[in-house]
Amino acid sequence: MEHAVSNLVGTPVLLSILIVFPFLAALTVYPVRSARLQTLVVTLTGAVLIAASLLLIPRTPFTLSPKSLLGVDIHVVVETADFLLLFVFLHIGFKHNHTLIKILSVLQIVSLAYLDVRTMSGEHLRVAALYGDNLSLILVLVASIVGSIVCFQSIPYMKAHEEHLEVEKSTRRRFFCVLLLFLGAMNGVVLSNDMGFFHFFFEVTTLCCFLLIRHDGTPAAVANGLRALWMNSLGGFCLLLGMISVFTRLHALDLGRLIELSSKSGIYLVSVALLCFGAFIKSAQFPFQGWLLGAMIAPTPVSALLHSSTMVKIGVYLVLRLAPGMRGAFLSECIAVFGAFGFLAGAALAVGQSNGKKVLAYSTISNLGLILACAGLNTPEAFTAAIFLIMFHSVVKALLFLCVGTIEQRIESRDIEDMRGLCAKMPVTALITVSGVIMMIMPPFGLLLGKWMAIEATAKNLAVVVMVAAGSALTVVYWARWAGTLMSEPFAGRFFPERQPFLTWGALGSLVAGGGVMTVAAPWLYREFFTGILSPGYSPPYVVHGGGLENGWGAFPVLPLAVVAAIGFAVSIVALRRASRVRIVKPYLSGLQTDTPGMFLGPGNRPVKAEASNYYLSSIFGEKRLATLVNLAALVFLILILGAAL
Amino acid sequence: MIDTILVVAATLVAAPLLGGLISGLDRIATARLQSRVGPPVVQPFHDVIKLLNKEPVAVNVWQVFCAYAYLSASMIAVVLFALGSDLLLVLFTQAVGAVFLVVGALSSTSPYSLVGAHRELLQTLSYEPLLVLVAVGIYLQTGSFKIADTRAWGAPLLLKLPFLYAALGLVLTIKLRKSPFDLSTSHHGHQEIVKGLLTDYSGPFLAFVEIGHWFDVILLLWLCSLFWATSWTGMILLVAVTYALEVVTDNVTARMNWRWMLGYAWAMGLTLSVVNLIWLHVR
Amino acid sequence: MFEQITRGSRVKSPWLLHYDCSSCNGCDIEVIACLTPVYDIERFGIINVGNPLHADILLVTGAVNHRNRKVLENLYEQMPHPRVVIAIGSCALSGGVFREAYNVVGGVDKVIAVDVYVPGCAAKPEAIIDGVLLGLEKFKKLSNNWRGVGGIFREAETNES
Repeated sequence: MEHAVSNLVGTPVLLSILIVFPFLAALTVYPVRSARLQTLVVTLTGAVLIAASLLLIPRTPFTLSPKSLLGVDIHVVVETADFLLLFVFLHIGFKHNHTLIKILSVLQIVSLAYLDVRTMSGEHLRVAALYGDNLSLILVLVASIVGSIVCFQSIPYMKAHEEHLEVEKSTRRRFFCVLLLFLGAMNGVVLSNDMGFFHFFFEVTTLCCFLLIRHDGTPAAVANGLRALWMNSLGGFCLLLGMISVFTRLHALDLGRLIELSSKSGIYLVSVALLCFGAFIKSAQFPFQGWLLGAMIAPTPVSALLHSSTMVKIGVYLVLRLAPGMRGAFLSECIAVFGAFGFLAGAALAVGQSNGKKVLAYSTISNLGLILACAGLNTPEAFTAAIFLIMFHSVVKALLFLCVGTIEQRIESRDIEDMRGLCAKMPVTALITVSGVIMMIMPPFGLLLGKWMAIEATAKNLAVVVMVAAGSALTVVYWARWAGTLMSEPFAGRFFPERQPFLTWGALGSLVAGGGVMTVAAPWLYREFFTGILSPGYSPPYVVHGGGLENGWGAFPVLPLAVVAAIGFAVSIVALRRASRVRIVKPYLSGLQTDTPGMFLGPGNRPVKAEASNYYLSSIFGEKRLATLVNLAALVFLILILGAAL
Repeated sequence: MIDTILVVAATLVAAPLLGGLISGLDRIATARLQSRVGPPVVQPFHDVIKLLNKEPVAVNVWQVFCAYAYLSASMIAVVLFALGSDLLLVLFTQAVGAVFLVVGALSSTSPYSLVGAHRELLQTLSYEPLLVLVAVGIYLQTGSFKIADTRAWGAPLLLKLPFLYAALGLVLTIKLRKSPFDLSTSHHGHQEIVKGLLTDYSGPFLAFVEIGHWFDVILLLWLCSLFWATSWTGMILLVAVTYALEVVTDNVTARMNWRWMLGYAWAMGLTLSVVNLIWLHVR
Repeated sequence: MFEQITRGSRVKSPWLLHYDCSSCNGCDIEVIACLTPVYDIERFGIINVGNPLHADILLVTGAVNHRNRKVLENLYEQMPHPRVVIAIGSCALSGGVFREAYNVVGGVDKVIAVDVYVPGCAAKPEAIIDGVLLGLEKFKKLSNNWRGVGGIFREAETNES
């Protein structure tokens, strides 16, 4: 059966479904004004993408060099499109009179032209355009499945969003168009082998990011969109510089060859370092975190899709891709330290935040830092950790973003303090959010599995392990605080589940279930998928033993632990159900409590609200205090990385 | 398989008994230091049995859930330790308990609970990195994170990891809820913001928290004992001396504020740990 | 057997909540004196807790007035069963010298049921300890209706006077 299907659809067809089809769907949805048709197109595209990405699983690794698209040489198409894009950037720069964007677009155009002149003259090797191994496959799966789920949820979300904003003319079709465009570009980025292709898709995601952030059209949204645009253009420019330097050495823009070449010579490392710079910016590492924080102004599905689960992963993907090439180099170690610093700083800044979306943003930066640290360490264990972190972070973070979006539409605030007692107002969403938080920080769930691997892999690198240890403690603080706040309400044991559109429940439910199932399946996922990625030269670092992962110096019994945790959970749930018969008393308020919850009898026998808020420790972890310091330190690290390359 | 089941059963029975006993001895020692006679050594058991049989009242059903979850997580952590599992994993599991305890306290609307819960989080923040670094130190010395391998290591670890042991002592003081770190809640008749974190836990649920605490104490003392795993005498002596020092510290220091705690634990603890780790690296 | 163990533990681990209604602090000082090394009530497993949710015994000193009667009721209501109320000193017993004052309700038993009365102005520490031990007699007589942790606790409060 499986063979029949796989014979029916060849790999080239699948790849064109994954990359080109979303572009076509985007063009289809753009002129459609009917909400039903929009829903149809988006859900259909999502379903097709999910199916195609699943069908791609047994086909890795593959290399593909399509010759032409509609009769035109595909390289020419991509290069022309890339130029067009850069001129669009330039246009945006002029339209909004943004000097930085103007400068960066011109610089990019000039360097791309220079590169083109050089590739055309001389004997230029036509390289394979697309390449897929299991690393790309995992990112394709994440982009297609998580991305599609987020798109599904965005349908009811955008409806409510426009009703709330009371817009006269719906711009939803534009929104969906960009969203679908993005899915195609995302698949394109991670499947590119020709760096020209990579740059083109990279720039498409940048454009999508800009369009989605500025979607609401408010001055703040436009300003934040422009910030994202110039920062990511800087990333694109770094990428181009890296490509020029790669071309000087290789005479081909071949990502695969670049990695195989692996040398410690200056020019090689400089080109890798430049490519990594582009990656850091895309992953919003310090000091370029500004664009990601600003992006939180966008509608929440955008944050879920671009700024947590997919687009920011391009950066770490690129570094992971390049990692084998710089193994043993000091550059790699510097990247590890830089990543660990990002993990620590992101976590510290998240502690100081009471804005839910900002907490999520900083936590994303922090997790991406950890992934970078693993990539920089460049051992098989660290590599495995990085891939686990990418997989699970995408699912859980998308879930949490969607939860915050759902909550925000109801309570009209994204501040954690306003979410106090949410389990009384919207119990199901609150519980799902808490499950998301639990998946973030607790064993046996995947993110903790990744963190465990990361710490064991970093143990021999003193600077990295100290920062990771401190950062993971900070992580616990901001998550536990949030979970507790959601649960804080006298609750009499009766559930009144709130109503939400089917697509919302579907999206939230499938992400929660996905996180759980993937956790239990983690050892087998590892066995099936990871061993292929770790080549060349990497031997599988863990063995699957007794439903857990094990190596010479550590063991994580995933399945047994999951079973025990499930039993503990079941017992606690039974206790909770029986607890509905427990006498519920009022919380201690020095004997002055009144019949209204949370009120005490104040002066003159008047009820006063007992107000208390969480500790955000802003005197230590506040943005004002920390951000400058962190940015300076990150800048020093970047200079260090460049120095290490030279 | 049978061996495993036996170990699990023995641990689940012995750990709370031992934990309660240690708590009883602690109370007598403390009383003697204050020129009092103190309660009988089995007093903690009386307390817990009484609490288990009190009327279950709660301010919020989530709190009931969290009390159970805390106890389960602490039990799982000790069992994993007994089975010689991965040290880091044990520490993470133990942290799960701490998080549930905090979430349970946060689920009350009482400001006392809230302040206690946040102080507990700060305590977690203070000791968690140190615990991880202790595990890393043990790994660097023995080449393994597995507790079974650490037990089998030929020489006392204390000689190679003295500063890390000191950092572990700091952790122990925080985890045992001893002065000067008894910020989030206190023990044995001390009061801190009306018992802080535990303000709204009551009856059987308070008993669960107490039993969970015994498991935690056993876990940490067991971790301490790994530093002299070569002989039973050395192990017992080390743990006894460490605990005695904790009791003395408790009685000669006053409670400090969280800023001081965080600063002290990170500055002092991280310095000690890092210095020790550098030694291990250089060697 | 469980019942006996439970009763034994209740008697050996009474945790006190001390509430000062409007005492002149004379009795309060004597209550605190019980904690000192001279009397050391921790010998009997007695702990002074600050929280009704943890307490078994409510020690009340001073006369109840209109302002704090609600507080007293609240604290009493928050204590889980089984519980004992002990009134300490003349004022708590009857209102004492403040009995006729315009703002005074009277003794503690005007508001909640009292199990043990400890007279004195101020009550001596020995008398207070004796009163607590007398209050524990109530726990000895209680039948134990423990129906599993988390179950419903039904209690026949036998000795309310």
